[in-house]
Amino acid sequence: MSGLERSGAADLRFPGTSEMARRMRAYPWSSISMGEPDTWPTSLRTACRICLTSRFPMIVWWGEELRFLYNDAYLPLLGSKHPALAKTGEEVWEEIWHTIGPMLRSVMASGEATWSEDLLLPMNRHGYWEETYWTYSYSPLHDDDGTVRGVFTAVSDTTERVIGERRLAVLQDLGAQAGHARSVTEACRLVARVLERAGLDVPFAAIYLRRPGSDEPVLTATGPEGAEPHPLADGPGDWPLREVLDTGRPVTMTDVAERFGALPAGGWQTPPTQAMVLPLAGETGGRNIGVIVLAAGAGRALDEAYESFLGLVARQTAALVNAAVAYQLQQRRAEELAELDRAKTAFFSNVSHEFRTPLTLIMGPVQELRGALAGADARVREDLEVVHRNGLRLGKLVNTLLDFSRIEAGRTQARYEPVDLSAVTAELASVFRSAIDKAGLAFDVDCPPLPEPVHIDRGMWEKVVLNLLSNALKFTFDGSIRVALRGDGEHAVLTVADTGVGISEEELPRLFERFHRVESARSRSNEGSGIGLALVRELVGLHGGAITAESTEGEGTTFTVRLPFGAAHLPPGDIVPAGAAEAVSATADPFVEEALRWLPDDAPARDTGSAGEPGETGEITGAAGQTPEGLPAPEDGEAGRARVLIADDNADMREYLTRLLRPAYRVTVVTDGQDALEAVRADPPDLVVSDVMMPRLDGLQLVAALRADPRTAGVPVLLLSARAGQEASIEGLEAGADDYLVKPFSAAELLARVRANVEPARLRGHHARWRNALIDSLQEAFFVCDEDGAVIEINSAFTDILGYDADGLPYRPIHPWWPEEIDDPEGHRLVGDVFSRLLDVGKGRGVIPLAHRDGHRVWVAVTFNDVLDPDTGRRRVVGTLRDVTAEHYAVQRESALAALSVRLSQAGSMTDALSGAMEELREVWHARQVLAALWDGDDRPALTSTAAGADWRTLPPELRASLGALREQPPLRPSASEAGGAGVTLEHPAGLLAVWIDLDQKRPFSAEDQTLLALLAGHLGQGLHRAHQLDRQRETAVALQRAILGPSRLPDGFAVRYEPAGRPLEVGGDWYDIVPLPDERIGIVVGDCVGRGLEAAAVMGQLRSACRALLLQEAGPSQVLTALDRFAAQVPGARYTTVFCGVLDTATGDLAYSSAGHPPGILVLPDGATRLLRDGRSTPLAARPGRARPEAACTMPARSTLLLYTDGLVERRSRPLTDGIDQAGATVQDGRSTPIEDLATEVMARMKPDSGYSDDVALLLYRQPAPLEVAFPAESGQLAPVRTALRDWLNRCELSSSMIQNVLVAAGEACANAIEHGHRNSPGDMIRLRAVATGRDLHLTVVDSGRWKTPRPEANPHRGRGVALMRALMHHVTIEPGAAGTTVDMHTRITR
Amino acid sequence: MTTPLTMAASRRPDGTQVLTVTGEIDMSNAGTFDAALTRAADDGRLVVDLAAVDYLDSAGLTVLFDHAPHIELVANPLIAPVLSISGLVDVTTVHGLDSGPDGDGRP
Repeated sequence: MSGLERSGAADLRFPGTSEMARRMRAYPWSSISMGEPDTWPTSLRTACRICLTSRFPMIVWWGEELRFLYNDAYLPLLGSKHPALAKTGEEVWEEIWHTIGPMLRSVMASGEATWSEDLLLPMNRHGYWEETYWTYSYSPLHDDDGTVRGVFTAVSDTTERVIGERRLAVLQDLGAQAGHARSVTEACRLVARVLERAGLDVPFAAIYLRRPGSDEPVLTATGPEGAEPHPLADGPGDWPLREVLDTGRPVTMTDVAERFGALPAGGWQTPPTQAMVLPLAGETGGRNIGVIVLAAGAGRALDEAYESFLGLVARQTAALVNAAVAYQLQQRRAEELAELDRAKTAFFSNVSHEFRTPLTLIMGPVQELRGALAGADARVREDLEVVHRNGLRLGKLVNTLLDFSRIEAGRTQARYEPVDLSAVTAELASVFRSAIDKAGLAFDVDCPPLPEPVHIDRGMWEKVVLNLLSNALKFTFDGSIRVALRGDGEHAVLTVADTGVGISEEELPRLFERFHRVESARSRSNEGSGIGLALVRELVGLHGGAITAESTEGEGTTFTVRLPFGAAHLPPGDIVPAGAAEAVSATADPFVEEALRWLPDDAPARDTGSAGEPGETGEITGAAGQTPEGLPAPEDGEAGRARVLIADDNADMREYLTRLLRPAYRVTVVTDGQDALEAVRADPPDLVVSDVMMPRLDGLQLVAALRADPRTAGVPVLLLSARAGQEASIEGLEAGADDYLVKPFSAAELLARVRANVEPARLRGHHARWRNALIDSLQEAFFVCDEDGAVIEINSAFTDILGYDADGLPYRPIHPWWPEEIDDPEGHRLVGDVFSRLLDVGKGRGVIPLAHRDGHRVWVAVTFNDVLDPDTGRRRVVGTLRDVTAEHYAVQRESALAALSVRLSQAGSMTDALSGAMEELREVWHARQVLAALWDGDDRPALTSTAAGADWRTLPPELRASLGALREQPPLRPSASEAGGAGVTLEHPAGLLAVWIDLDQKRPFSAEDQTLLALLAGHLGQGLHRAHQLDRQRETAVALQRAILGPSRLPDGFAVRYEPAGRPLEVGGDWYDIVPLPDERIGIVVGDCVGRGLEAAAVMGQLRSACRALLLQEAGPSQVLTALDRFAAQVPGARYTTVFCGVLDTATGDLAYSSAGHPPGILVLPDGATRLLRDGRSTPLAARPGRARPEAACTMPARSTLLLYTDGLVERRSRPLTDGIDQAGATVQDGRSTPIEDLATEVMARMKPDSGYSDDVALLLYRQPAPLEVAFPAESGQLAPVRTALRDWLNRCELSSSMIQNVLVAAGEACANAIEHGHRNSPGDMIRLRAVATGRDLHLTVVDSGRWKTPRPEANPHRGRGVALMRALMHHVTIEPGAAGTTVDMHTRITR
Repeated sequence: MTTPLTMAASRRPDGTQVLTVTGEIDMSNAGTFDAALTRAADDGRLVVDLAAVDYLDSAGLTVLFDHAPHIELVANPLIAPVLSISGLVDVTTVHGLDSGPDGDGRP
């Protein structure tokens, strides 16, 4: 074999001109165990060839000694170990052999591939030591008979991915700090701590914040802690903090070491030399709040990606600091509110105190008077008793309220002392014995001594026991009350059980609620504020105990109080030693007093004036139902006598009657029925004695009139008539007269009849007065309606609540307190509904708005029932009103706040939050519309409205004025206008937001409304800030996604879109990638990971990197996907990813592709024909690993358009996928002459469902051929080469030869013009030619940087000729001279 | 650098001067083209054979217009549209115009 032949064979075995090929060819192989290459197995020879021709680092380890063969690309990784050709593996990598040795051996032994991922290797590739990461894969090499003889290692550079993931982790770590910081300083420290942990990427960080009231940035935190940098004395100076703060533009520094010496290195060998000084943007988009300095690690160049990462760090930092600012503001507001609350409580207890003094001054003298006037007139004593009782009651109420305010304010001064609880309780119970005995109930007190003392505050315990007993007595009508005390393990247990009416199951849970009164229970008294049991629970709670109630309706109720033994549960400072046993304090008096009054009392006896102290002396027992003996003595003095009104037109008769009656009665005389009616109305007498025949108004008419008026219906009338006979008397009685006397009558007969009628009337009158007093004493408003709905009786509480007094009675419907239908149609309707129920059903309840006489709105709870008036037999409706205005507004506030919170929590963006809140405001006030104007600096604000189509310019001037006027208001201070509306301002992250509620005319906007508006506005403000944070986070996430997603600069001819569906962070698992390969080839990938959000995005990132690396290794599409199958099987969450992978030759349009379960690509030809790339299809990734994947090929004809996408674009619920694919194809077909970038926008828009994309969408469009872009210097010699390039490209576009010629000449003229005129003064400037072909059109653009002359053909015929040629040869030509240069646009339709 | 262009002067058997041009004519070599025409036209009538010219722009047209009175042209289908549009066909005799299918010069 000649030398030449041998070298030829060696060239084949070790091809190429690389250093390692040379070394391998020269190596004396026969000197080592491997032997001559001729004898090598095919696999080794193939491996060597692959190794030597690859641009990626590769190693072949061969034989038992694992001889080391490698290529040029591996040289930088090998470093100084080179040359190491054919040395044994262990020799070469001695220091790491303990790691890789076993791996290699295992491949040799098992024949299964393995790999090691992301090994760090510092390398000096670009003039500095840089961190690089490499993934080594080890695959077995078999010899010709199948034995594993060696290992093939491919090394891929994973630096980009490893660093990308690390930076992502830093950003996530920063993101996770959200909501932790309570102050700005703390936020800065948190950021600094995160960055300290991220030393590799940010070896040094410093945060400078603008101090309030100063423009000077002050150092707030550094990472690492305490690493404050000091400028070197002879260095260039400090950080350009002020500059960045003022301009808001980041500055990149490359002289960090010169300025500051060695900053912390963050784990690198060398300290940082480069840093960025970045602004921290303020919340309102206005001033920057500070500056952050971020040094770049020495291991990476500060490239574009690094800068964008640092930019994201700065943004995250700004977001955290701003959130802390917002938190502090909110905190301050909360403190102010708490302060207000404390002031309220203090005020309340002060007022209660103020009540006590006058009460004492009333009760003292009353007590004395009771003694002094013991023998006085019954009426006087009776009144005195009323004063005394109600004084006690008021005192008890004030004390209870004071107890509450003390408990609420935490100011209870409890003195817990150990007592014998049995003795104390038994003594307390005994206080009630007399009252319970008197009520005829059995009273069982069972309090055996307990094993140990119990710590109680005596005063509080008294209230607990007395309240429970009083409650039991109140609701028990027969049976017994039982008090029992027992020890039960750790607790003393008190039970108070009764056999009373019981409490219904629905009411039981609310029993201990403050101001809650059990409805409809039969009780001894309707008195009660509903706070007794609530207080009991608070007091028991203070003792560390608990109270429960069990009840069965109709059987009784048992309260159980459990108090712990010992004192460990009580505040040590409140514990006092056992004191002397005290008698039951004065606390008990009001309880017993009150209870006694509920009992069947001595009212009739009092009327006779014979009773002493009611209930105390016990003289009157079983007095109920007792009737007075005898008749009232008429001689009881003038005032006490019954009043008789005589109406007769006959003076003699009047005189006679007067003479007969005067001794016993007070007599008033009138002369006709009309006068009589007026007199009765003015002051109803006890009896009317009337003649039947009278002028003006006769006796029968008088009776009818009296009976018709509820106030006089009860006045008895005795008719005197000359007409005898049954009919006459029947007529009189039918008319409503109480009695009838036919003239002539005897004096005795008259007196007997008068007395018979006066007496029941007197009794009735007495009862009526009593009833009136009772009704008036009711705390609730009371009213009586007649059957027409006219209000005929009210009490004073009614007047208090609604401002209408009894003088105006009767009040006929529609009552004056109804809300005006015009102002408040809803309220009017509510009242109307309740009223019609009152008329029709006569029974019901409701909560309705009413208008007080002075105009203000009152919410009342109304309850009514119908009864028959025993006097007249007519139907009446009696009802009560309770003022629930405060409760109503509290409920309204709560529900409006809750509804607003829901709206805000549903909002994904600030816009959503604002529009949702405005809708809520509109509903709360039934407003015509709600407007919001946002002043973000401009004079004309951005306007939004709940009504459609709002625009500031077309807004009515008065609304503009209202909104404008609001700007002068401090935030959260609502103001209402007479014109019908109210508004408030609040701080929006972008500026001042004015909200205007446009109400119907005259609709009042009360103080409560204003409070509510302020509350809601405050809430909205916070919601907007939260949404703003979310917006920012989303922006950050999207920026992140972009960083992970495909190349920032696309090759020409491509357009891509990515739209994630996931909320709130819009990142997802879809991706596209475009990988430029040698020889005008481009790898294109579109994939779709299972799932959404950040997790899917992380998987996507890995798959994308892997796919890209595989394509760069020159693998074909099916090989790439086969390799990805293996990779995906290892990455959690990567299984079942679908991928379309293709390699496109842009010179020929040949496309090789393979699809892993991905929807087919769509190819649209220039004539509109559509083809689906259905071939080369197999299962999603890692679904059936290990199977070979098919590969298909097609050619993209010139000017055809390729659409690749993920299923989010075409998949719709309840529609076949093919429909969506057809629709996408049709869209591309329609747009085949649209520029590719515009087409991408159009596809996304036309395919978008009404509700937006519900899944991630990635889209990739390419049109063959890619546009031509040529830049050349302005020299005439360039024309020919440019023409050649253009001709080639036009040929690729497959145009006719004549058309090519036309285009060449037109473009040539434009270029010649640009050379000659555009660059006359600066030859050599660049001219740019761009040509783009779409399905049916051709566009050419020639741009220069000069200014053309206006064509003047006569002066320069030949130049004018050029422009004329252009116009003649192309369909459309525009020449646009501009300051920076002239642009020629030419367009022509493509013909066949 | 100028665009490659060759010109060969010859005489037909009938004595007519012929200038055979091969290549592309643009502003970079229009001057050379002009000089060659001027030289060749000294003897009177001149046939300029452009059959082998692939490209002719307004710079070349201007030269042809300048010499129009004493030249005849031989064209080819590729450059024929330019000659028609410019109006050169109206001021001088052009041969070989009708042989191409794209005679009207409009795309």
